[in-house]
Amino acid sequence: MTLLEVTDVTVRFAGVIALDGTSLAVPAGSVTGLIGPNGAGKTTLFNVITGLQSPTSGRVVLDGTDVTRAKPHRRARKGIARTFQRLEAFGSLTARDNVLVALEMRRRWWPERYVPGPLADTLLAQVGISAVADAKVESLPTGTARLVEVARALAVAPKVLLLDEPSSGLDERETHELGELLLRLSSDGLGVLLVEHDMAFVMDTCAHINVLDFGRVIARGTPGEVQADAAVQQAYLGTRAHR
Amino acid sequence: MRRSNLAVWLATLAFVVGVSKVAWAGNPVNGTSLLNLLVFALPLAGIYALSAAGLVVVYTTTGIFNFAQGAIGMLLAYFYWELRVKRGLPTWLALVLTVLVAAPLIGVTLDRLIMRHLQGKSLVAQLTVTIGLMFAFIGLANMIWDQNLGYVLPSFFGDRGFHIGDVVMTWHRFITLTLTVVLAVGLRAFLFGTRSGIAMRAVVDNRSLAGLSGARSEFLSSFAWALGCALAALAGIFLAPESGMATGGPLTLLIITAFAAAVVGRLRSLPMTYVGALLLALAVEWSQLFLQFGGRWGQLPLALPTVMLFIVLLLLPSARLQFARINVVRHSERVSSVRDTVVGMAVLLATIAAISTFLSPTNMNRFALGMCTALVALSLVPLIGWAGQVSLAPLAFAGIGAVAYTRLGGMHGHWYAVVLAALLVVPVGALLALPAMRLQGLYLALATMAFASMVEFVFFTQPWALGTQDRKVQRLHLFGAHFASTRSFLLLVTAVFGLTGIGVVALRRSALGRRFVALRDSEAASATVGVNILETKVLVFMLSAGMAGFAGAFMAQYYETVSGGQFQMLAGLSIVLALVIGGVATVAGALFAGMFGLGLVLVKDNWHLSLWKALEYLAPGLAAIGIIQNPSGAVVAIGEGFAPLLPWRKDARRDADALREANAEPEVGNLGLARPFSEADVLIVDRALGITNDVPRATARVGSA
Repeated sequence: MTLLEVTDVTVRFAGVIALDGTSLAVPAGSVTGLIGPNGAGKTTLFNVITGLQSPTSGRVVLDGTDVTRAKPHRRARKGIARTFQRLEAFGSLTARDNVLVALEMRRRWWPERYVPGPLADTLLAQVGISAVADAKVESLPTGTARLVEVARALAVAPKVLLLDEPSSGLDERETHELGELLLRLSSDGLGVLLVEHDMAFVMDTCAHINVLDFGRVIARGTPGEVQADAAVQQAYLGTRAHR
Repeated sequence: MRRSNLAVWLATLAFVVGVSKVAWAGNPVNGTSLLNLLVFALPLAGIYALSAAGLVVVYTTTGIFNFAQGAIGMLLAYFYWELRVKRGLPTWLALVLTVLVAAPLIGVTLDRLIMRHLQGKSLVAQLTVTIGLMFAFIGLANMIWDQNLGYVLPSFFGDRGFHIGDVVMTWHRFITLTLTVVLAVGLRAFLFGTRSGIAMRAVVDNRSLAGLSGARSEFLSSFAWALGCALAALAGIFLAPESGMATGGPLTLLIITAFAAAVVGRLRSLPMTYVGALLLALAVEWSQLFLQFGGRWGQLPLALPTVMLFIVLLLLPSARLQFARINVVRHSERVSSVRDTVVGMAVLLATIAAISTFLSPTNMNRFALGMCTALVALSLVPLIGWAGQVSLAPLAFAGIGAVAYTRLGGMHGHWYAVVLAALLVVPVGALLALPAMRLQGLYLALATMAFASMVEFVFFTQPWALGTQDRKVQRLHLFGAHFASTRSFLLLVTAVFGLTGIGVVALRRSALGRRFVALRDSEAASATVGVNILETKVLVFMLSAGMAGFAGAFMAQYYETVSGGQFQMLAGLSIVLALVIGGVATVAGALFAGMFGLGLVLVKDNWHLSLWKALEYLAPGLAAIGIIQNPSGAVVAIGEGFAPLLPWRKDARRDADALREANAEPEVGNLGLARPFSEADVLIVDRALGITNDVPRATARVGSA
């Protein structure tokens, strides 16, 4: 089942085309990868999906509802959550309070009642950072702060989770654990869209991969198919004349 | 054109027509009177343009918005007076010494000593440091040139001039006009046509990047400050003969007019800045020549620049959601527990009660005013300290609250008048917040300042507010007691401050408090976890306005006779300044803000030394410089130093130990493992290898710990 569908999204910044008719789908129950060289438009696409950037044209549909014109907080309430490539954790709050902000907001639209405190501790334990729950995020190493962002995004109880380079700053073991967590979450029905530069992590975790270059999807398929794709190799190895 | 912009234009037109109709003086509008308008307006526009251009040059090159621009011009106008009038130097020499020697010297000194260290600090720190400088320059002028004497700066060539038709153009105006046109053209040519000029425009976009590509950013920022000060000096010298030289008067307040003109050019475009200056000068001279104001609108002309500033700000395009500013160094404060705050406030009340038994009536009064001021400052803690929305209008909201108190039961000291004062100001806060929400950072701060100034000049004089006379009120009657005596009132306000402070701390620890802080740290991330940004901002503005209105009711009681002069915009700025010096996110910082002015007065009164007199004038400005070292505030820094000494603060000792451990020199082999390899680490390695004997600076590591 397709949870999130992006159709023909184009974004122009004063003459520069960041996204050029990009389309992709995120199904429930698996991790979808989005890879591409720097400047390919991955983060811009995340911003379009979460409403931080309005597209010049194109549509974003979540679970059958068109959210293209919805404000960011409305999309969050409908079930889109994300992390950021450049850290956007609430630095002067503790890790626990970061998660609490999201949990306390969710109480407004969530049909069931719950107590935020214990739930926050559960989420922190889930991403493996219970030990730093009471530390201010600005004092944490980057990798740990990224995990705080993951826990905060999960606190929204999303249908679709967008992760923007979550493994940078993590060591090998931590990256592996994050991959396990993502697979566990997606097997419960969550749709995950993962932007990553760590290819081993992407290939191990994703069921499908989309490759973006110059704002266009140049290839898509299973990890095996993508790795064998000639266009992908060109984009990454830079053999094309204009690169 | 966007619909909201159309609405603003229509409202502006209606305002101009409406005001002109009400205040029409009956002078004929013909060729001569219009020519007259031009002859007056053009040189004035030139002066505005000079001041605004100085602002823009400094802002585009260094990213710092200089509130002290007007005050620098004022100070240098005095300096020019000293040379020209008192020492009798020839005009040209005095001009050269002032504009080409003293002004650049001030500029370069400011840049080297202060401004350079403000790069990358939070907006509120940058703003308050230049606000502090403004007060310091006013203080300096007051100290050197006794304000009990009159100062008159002669025009160039006296009143002589030449005729254009029936209208006299004085040489002074002609020179002003010619010189400003020449400078305007020259400045534009410099910025766009020369290597240094282009580099100056590049530096602000990315200082280090411009540096890598060969721009000497240090030299350029000094040069920009020198140029900015020279332009300020010229504006001051040209304006002073017509406006008078009061230190806190038109010369210093020229800054607001300059803001308005500069915002027309979006703080970047000089040609649009000149257009803004021209429009403003036309508006001002139009009101002088054709309109006559009296009664409730008597002070409207004074508000014209701020009205224009407000209008221009409303026409700006909507700001995008802000991402976290990663280059801002933030050392966030510890959040007190409610229990600690209750204990602290009880101690405060007991201390004040004890002190008040032997205070003289004068000092008792000062304490009461200090406590009322602290209450006003407290209203900014959630707004600026947590939510990061810079407002410069605390005293304006307090003033509206004071008016509400006088009109809604305060004449008899009814308790409900205080409640009504707070409630009535809440929607006013929303009213300011809604249009202001589209703005961010600096523009928002300017909009609130414009609002404060409009309240000062247009609101208080309305017959349904205070009118033109002062209003008497009574202090509270509560639980059968009347807090009429100064001592009982002081204790009342202290108790009220204590309770409000406890409430504020409890709020900070609540879901709403967390949401406010989250908004400050990252708007983008807040929105993506479901926070409605607009609603949250309006909410925090309403809360702050309500608290300020509440504080205003006590201000009114303190004064017992309420008048608009007690709630001036400038006085509001000094409260913001003192709060930031103390610690903008803490209750203790608010208390500091209230006691800061009081402390200075007490010191001056009790030690009759000229040094203390100087201190009173200069301290606010000097203390502001401390913000550079302690962006979270003096109180926070002091608290962190003392806390480990207190037996019950185990957490503080733990933090101090952790910090000491982080500062301890690590094993060379472990460097770069826990955090990125830093310059301090290079030094450690160099020392281990015997290349250098320098000791790595501990502070460099404290910051990253």
